[in-house]
Amino acid sequence: MNFDLTNDQKMLQDQVKKFADSVLAPVAPDIDKSGEFPWDNIKKMAELGLLGIIIPEEYGGAGFDYISLAIAIEEISRACASTGVIVAVNNSLAGYPIMQFGNEEQKKKYLPLLCKGEKLGAFGLTEPNAGSDVAAMETTARLDGDHYILNGTKRFITNAGEAGIYMVFAYTNKELKHKGMSTFIVERDTPGFSLGKHEDLMGIRATANCELIFEDVKIPRENLLGKEGEGFKMCMNTLDVSRIDIGAQAVGIAQSALDESIKYSKERKTFGQPICNFQMVQSMLAEMATEIQAARMLVYYAGHCKNKGMTRFSKEAAMAKYYASSISVDVARKAVQIHGGYGYTKDYPIERIYRDAKILELYEGTNEIQKIIIARELTR
Amino acid sequence: MDIIVCIKRVAQTAEADVKIDSSGKDIVKDRLTFDMNESDTYALEEAILLKEKFGGTLTAVSLGTVQAEDTLRIALAKGADSAIRIKAEDFEGLDGYKTAQLLKAAIKDLKFDVVFTGCIATDDYYSQVGVTLAELLGVPHATLVTKIDIQDTKAQVHRELEGGLIEHLDMTLPALFTIQTGINEPRYASLIAIRRAAKKEIKVIGASEIEPTGIQANASLEELFTPPAGKRAEILSGSMDEISAKVAGIIKEKGLI
Amino acid sequence: MNEIFALVEHRQGIIRDITYELLSCGRKLAEKGNTKLTAVILGHNTDNFVQILKGQAHRLLVVDNEVYEDFNSEVYQTALTEIIKRQNPVLTLISHSAFGVDLCPALAAQLGMPFTTDCLDVELAEQKLKVTRQIYDGKLNAKVLLRENAGYMITLRSGCFPAGESSLDGVVEKIDTPVSAQPDYRKFIEYIEAAVGEVDITKSDVLVSVGRGVKEKAYLSIIEDFAETIGGVVGCSRPVVDAGWLPKDRQIGSSGKTVKPKLYIALGISGAFQHIIGMKGADTIIAVNKDPNAPIFSEADYGIVDDLFKVVPVLKTKILEMKQAKG
Repeated sequence: MNFDLTNDQKMLQDQVKKFADSVLAPVAPDIDKSGEFPWDNIKKMAELGLLGIIIPEEYGGAGFDYISLAIAIEEISRACASTGVIVAVNNSLAGYPIMQFGNEEQKKKYLPLLCKGEKLGAFGLTEPNAGSDVAAMETTARLDGDHYILNGTKRFITNAGEAGIYMVFAYTNKELKHKGMSTFIVERDTPGFSLGKHEDLMGIRATANCELIFEDVKIPRENLLGKEGEGFKMCMNTLDVSRIDIGAQAVGIAQSALDESIKYSKERKTFGQPICNFQMVQSMLAEMATEIQAARMLVYYAGHCKNKGMTRFSKEAAMAKYYASSISVDVARKAVQIHGGYGYTKDYPIERIYRDAKILELYEGTNEIQKIIIARELTR
Repeated sequence: MDIIVCIKRVAQTAEADVKIDSSGKDIVKDRLTFDMNESDTYALEEAILLKEKFGGTLTAVSLGTVQAEDTLRIALAKGADSAIRIKAEDFEGLDGYKTAQLLKAAIKDLKFDVVFTGCIATDDYYSQVGVTLAELLGVPHATLVTKIDIQDTKAQVHRELEGGLIEHLDMTLPALFTIQTGINEPRYASLIAIRRAAKKEIKVIGASEIEPTGIQANASLEELFTPPAGKRAEILSGSMDEISAKVAGIIKEKGLI
Repeated sequence: MNEIFALVEHRQGIIRDITYELLSCGRKLAEKGNTKLTAVILGHNTDNFVQILKGQAHRLLVVDNEVYEDFNSEVYQTALTEIIKRQNPVLTLISHSAFGVDLCPALAAQLGMPFTTDCLDVELAEQKLKVTRQIYDGKLNAKVLLRENAGYMITLRSGCFPAGESSLDGVVEKIDTPVSAQPDYRKFIEYIEAAVGEVDITKSDVLVSVGRGVKEKAYLSIIEDFAETIGGVVGCSRPVVDAGWLPKDRQIGSSGKTVKPKLYIALGISGAFQHIIGMKGADTIIAVNKDPNAPIFSEADYGIVDDLFKVVPVLKTKILEMKQAKG
């Protein structure tokens, strides 16, 4: 058992932290306000290798492990939650499934594009009528000669408006339910594929969250990922990995809320002394710090399970995502409380952090779904 | 072109509370963060840029405790080929002069065309080590360098003087330059470079490799103390509204608006 | 005790102010140690310098040659090594400037003489030399004892030894130059004047100056807006220029501009001495900083301990109100 980061993890943390503080954090308030997608910074991150953290070098990635992925996503999210999820999606929801399930041609064709940021990745699973209930999905893909014909609508898709490569889930055989689901790699400029409504989100506002609309979209057969019917399995496997990311994002957002709170509570004086001297505030700070550290350990542990090569670690991933996102919202709430009325104004970053945190409990499987996953594993 | 860059890991004190420890001769360090000295990051970047332009080798050297290896490893990840740590724990009473002598001992057998250091360390504020090292190595130097243009063995060098004035020098290599902040834009190490650097060996040398005869310090620390408060500003208090009204009043009183 | 030397620093034909501080410090030490102060002048067409400095030292040691017209530490080092070896001063004072930091360590190392740099205070008694230096970004002082030796060399920080009146009648002693040409490996070519920007901060009566505390470039617009409201221009400390947020011609401090406005508002500037040097001549200084221990509060007339971004908007409103009331 060793809790120390390895040399490369320490260096990665050091450099990503510095980059995040001086490059990402300064634009975070602006892109929250404008909703503008941070392309400049995405390009810079591509140069550093942050768009392909876990992708092997031979495909243009950095070849790091999953704990390193968590460390990087935490640092990025601490500075800018929007950027954190953009990078997480590119790494885990687009890069990972292609790396894990793609054939050699697909890996060679798409992974370098994702790693270099030439095309960003997005993950098309959720639909207007199918969120937690994945099986309620209505999108279909029908084989027609050398092509699949794709029809349907996807909603709440991060990166959608700016991505070039979409992992799209559709029924190739609806009667088989889960086992009739397949995964397709869809390129942005495919005829019949258009973007729908751009979501005006409460938080993570710079993530180009859009609807995907497929109207008789012809997808070449070679863009089927894995085999027909393997979509659901791939999806669940991918979500396990992405929950490491979302847990890490939660830890990063919570850490920024704590950092702001510590700073504020030392500066702000009431009754003649800094408010950090008051036990009510101390109690909140102590809880926040402890919860963050516990969440970080759960996230690292889920990463460790993946590093070991465990094929299923759904319980560990769900625990990390569930706990980290819950405490993140709670830590952000306490942070607003510590800031008092000022925390409710746009003069302080804490209201943005609070809004950003809330999404964590909703996406990548709501926390209710996470608890179901955990409980099912316990009672299996 | 063979290049050496000397870097130091220092406590980051610009925005931190600095307290004297119980010995009275050192500061309380456990709450401080440590990192590469600011001007050293620019010196390192300048060295990497030079290596990228001309090829050759880049060696990073640091006198420090084992934690300095983390700083050296960052230098490796950014572009240094090899790194040497001189064990600070083997030597006592390190001042600028002694540091320069130890650095000299560590690099005297290396081939070099250029040696870079930062122009000042933010902990001890000496601005001594680079120039002393140049003297000990028997090479010319220039301090506070804000631009270097090298062709063959000639270097056109800009030094930053007071008042924004620049001094233009024509120098011959080998030479040592102490680098001023702002000369370039220090890079971040890429992830791939980090992974490669993590595996590299750092050469560690100490008392058994460096003959201590004749290496002495110039100065020894007697005591540390908090600077006496000079003239103090009148601190304006009250609500932000009251404070602002006071300031507006002062400005008005002086007839500035 | 042997004599004390103070090295005269000049540039473009003008003696630099720090020289008078060195001489003032040297006279005090000489008086205490019952010895004499020698001003060492390496220069060209030095008659003017001699005239100006005659009253400032007991002796003026003059080496006149065109090789000294512009500073070249290699030339100075060779010459001073010779001179110091011959004359054995107990202490040589050099300024802690772009001139002194380039010269002192190499010169002292060549002479095998204990030295240290950036001294704020000096005590010389019974051949022992103790100095006070500032460390850790100016947050602490250190008292340092130099290795005992017949001769020492130190550089002095400017602003620590006020130039004083003196009516000595220095003996002028001219000696032949030990050096007559610049070495091939380091030649002075020219001075390059700083580029003139669109705004000349030295001409404004009101300066709003920002430091590290401004956090990021995007926030500069808030500061510029505020400066405009109060009829001033924006200057800054070094970190802001290093980060590329403002051009070099806005920098105030030892390596930037020296300003003497009527009103100087320092926002988020901690007050490193390099910055203080450039702005302490302002009539009224108002400092805003979150850190109550920031050195800037030792220089300012009025201080506000708070986040500059909280202060600036309220202050701007107040000033606007005041202007309207007046109008």
